[in-house]
Amino acid sequence: MSGIRRKAWIVSIAAAVSLMAGVAVQADEPFRTLDEIKESGSINIGVFSDKSPFGYVDENGEYQGYDVYFANRLGEDLGVEINFVSTEAANRIEYLQTGKVDIILANFTVTEERAEEVTFALPYMNVALGVVSPEDAVVESLEDFPEDQQIIVISGTTAETYLEKNYPDIKLQKYDAYAEAKTALENGNAAAWANDNTEVIAFAVENEGFEVGIPSLGSQDTIAPAVAKGNDTLVDFINDEIVALAEESFFHKDYEETLIDTYGEEYENTLVIEGGLTDVPEDALETETEA
Amino acid sequence: MQSLGIDVLFKGINFQRLLGGLWVALRISLISVAISIVLGIIMGLLMVNGNKAVKAVCRVWLEIVRIMPQMVLLFVVYFGTTRVFGWNIPAEESAIIVFSFWGTAEMGDLVRGALISIPKIQYESAMALGMPTGTMYRYVILPQTIRRMIPLSINLITRMIKTTSLVMMIGIVEVLKVAQQIIEANRRTSPNAAFGVFGAVFLMYFCICWPISRLAAALEKRWSDEDPDSRRHGRKKDRKSSKKKTAGTLQTKAVS
Amino acid sequence: MRSYLPLYRDALLLTLRIGWQGVLLALILGIVCAAILQMRVPVLRTIVVIYVELFRNTPLLVQLFFLYFALPKIGIRMTPEMCGTLGLGLIGGAYMSETFRSGLDSIAPIQEESAVSLGMSRSQAFRYVILPQAVSSSVPGLVANVIFLLKETSVFSTISLMDLMFTAKDLIGMYAKTLECLTLLVIFYLIMLLPVSILGSVLERRMRYAEFGD
Repeated sequence: MSGIRRKAWIVSIAAAVSLMAGVAVQADEPFRTLDEIKESGSINIGVFSDKSPFGYVDENGEYQGYDVYFANRLGEDLGVEINFVSTEAANRIEYLQTGKVDIILANFTVTEERAEEVTFALPYMNVALGVVSPEDAVVESLEDFPEDQQIIVISGTTAETYLEKNYPDIKLQKYDAYAEAKTALENGNAAAWANDNTEVIAFAVENEGFEVGIPSLGSQDTIAPAVAKGNDTLVDFINDEIVALAEESFFHKDYEETLIDTYGEEYENTLVIEGGLTDVPEDALETETEA
Repeated sequence: MQSLGIDVLFKGINFQRLLGGLWVALRISLISVAISIVLGIIMGLLMVNGNKAVKAVCRVWLEIVRIMPQMVLLFVVYFGTTRVFGWNIPAEESAIIVFSFWGTAEMGDLVRGALISIPKIQYESAMALGMPTGTMYRYVILPQTIRRMIPLSINLITRMIKTTSLVMMIGIVEVLKVAQQIIEANRRTSPNAAFGVFGAVFLMYFCICWPISRLAAALEKRWSDEDPDSRRHGRKKDRKSSKKKTAGTLQTKAVS
Repeated sequence: MRSYLPLYRDALLLTLRIGWQGVLLALILGIVCAAILQMRVPVLRTIVVIYVELFRNTPLLVQLFFLYFALPKIGIRMTPEMCGTLGLGLIGGAYMSETFRSGLDSIAPIQEESAVSLGMSRSQAFRYVILPQAVSSSVPGLVANVIFLLKETSVFSTISLMDLMFTAKDLIGMYAKTLECLTLLVIFYLIMLLPVSILGSVLERRMRYAEFGD
């Protein structure tokens, strides 16, 4: 019996020591550089798997959508396999900071707060916020939003931060996943859904009985790929890609492949950003204030 | 009110994808169960035979597992360890760590319960016959312990399987996430897909867990009927022992 | 970190409110189902068996998804809070009925026989003789069930209830202060469940004392 006892002691001491060692030895940078990714032969890209038409999985189990189209091109030009990682809105920063993905290409809006946590590459799409609601009770303004009603938002999105900051009295109904939020709206669990306007417009187009009462809310923002803070080699590669791809109007082609069914042609020039060139001045990334 | 989304299940490879998602959840629980059984037996032996410090550590461990929701543990391991230690543990490994951590404690407690339920006379007789400790455990105590434990351990398996539905929360694409993806991809053509698809997931879990828990119940019944203790003694004693056993069983059945 | 405290406190209150509503519903359902099984009421008995097996052998998360996202498709609509309470009550009822039933099984048949021979009706015997004993012998199982149910509330976040888990996830998503949020999460679950767990141990010890005393 004393043998068991001694062993137990050794085990517990060993466990304690290794715990302390873990605390003491902080890991080096959590991210992988461009060379490390190339060497490993595969890249982990975080995308949505339930946000049609930007990132979703079709009935054959393949990732599809506007973001995914670009991701595929990045992988191709890098010459590595792509390992798509399904992400929720609220996990995006976390996945980058903990090295669980190399790039986030999940409709990630550039904001000042986020730019403190991750590094954004050049933008590839314009976005603002929008609000969609059922046709028979269209929400056209948030100023006199009834107290006994709720607006659906997705946890970790810019719509959530914006409404919490600017309309603190409006009750929010928060979901983790796009699929949950949309089903809840369909089921009539709330008066409206606030999200990126691209997304709410798509929802109204694809689902009968819904209308976008507020097509643009808050500031005009952009959507860009993001990498872990300080992963310069990777962000430089992505930026070079985005600039070079303008030659072949890549993002217009992307739009025509993935988004045109939903939006038609009328949104092509308002949504797409080619070569990272926005109408706003170059330093907008630094001075962006609104969610 | 068309279709209710049953058709969506059979579009493309959707049904296989759901089954694939279920397999992801099952694989995690089976690996965790295997680890838990091995480590749990060691822990149970330590909880009975260890010194005070070891017992205290085991108790604290068990108490943590009993109190903390598995979801919290998943988040702590998946997101927390990277922050504190810089370990980058992939989602599936995190899940296996959490479920094994939980399963080992529960299993350890089951083993402990089974060990102390073996009447002292069994130990004493074995010793009186001059058996060394190892032989005594190998031939006398463990066979009886295992028989008492097996039904409860099988219950632990179904609880593991059920709890793996939580791994969706740390980004593992298992059956529920696949269900959401299917609903999302077909929202335009079948807006009611949520009914058929979530209904299918519900039935899938039932079809897996129900036979396993029936098996556990059947084994428990058969072995407790055969239990020589309960036949030989008078009614009053019989009642007491069954009462105690009931309480123990429930305790473990319930905490899932 | 301090600025998050009110959020966590509200979340704790919500978790407790729905948790206890659910537990209460579970207790009532459990007693009713156990009584139906014990008294072998035809038809109802089959329904109860099916209900108990269905809900004991599926995860709460899947049940909630079905109740909240799927049922509205056939016209049954609930608020998130109703849905959470009902979900918890249904899964809890299945577990509680098993607990009570085992408690009832532990009561020797002679108790009922004696009561009936004293002139009580079967339902009187159940109400005044069997049930009180069964409840007291089920206490450890009941406490375990309560802890289990309160823990299970952590999946409520998926149906937009702002419980502790949701608050932590939400704050992580908005401000990326992972460590603080997770620490608070663990602390608040301890605040909620440690007292219940201690109470459970005390009750169990007293039960054992009563048992030895008889």
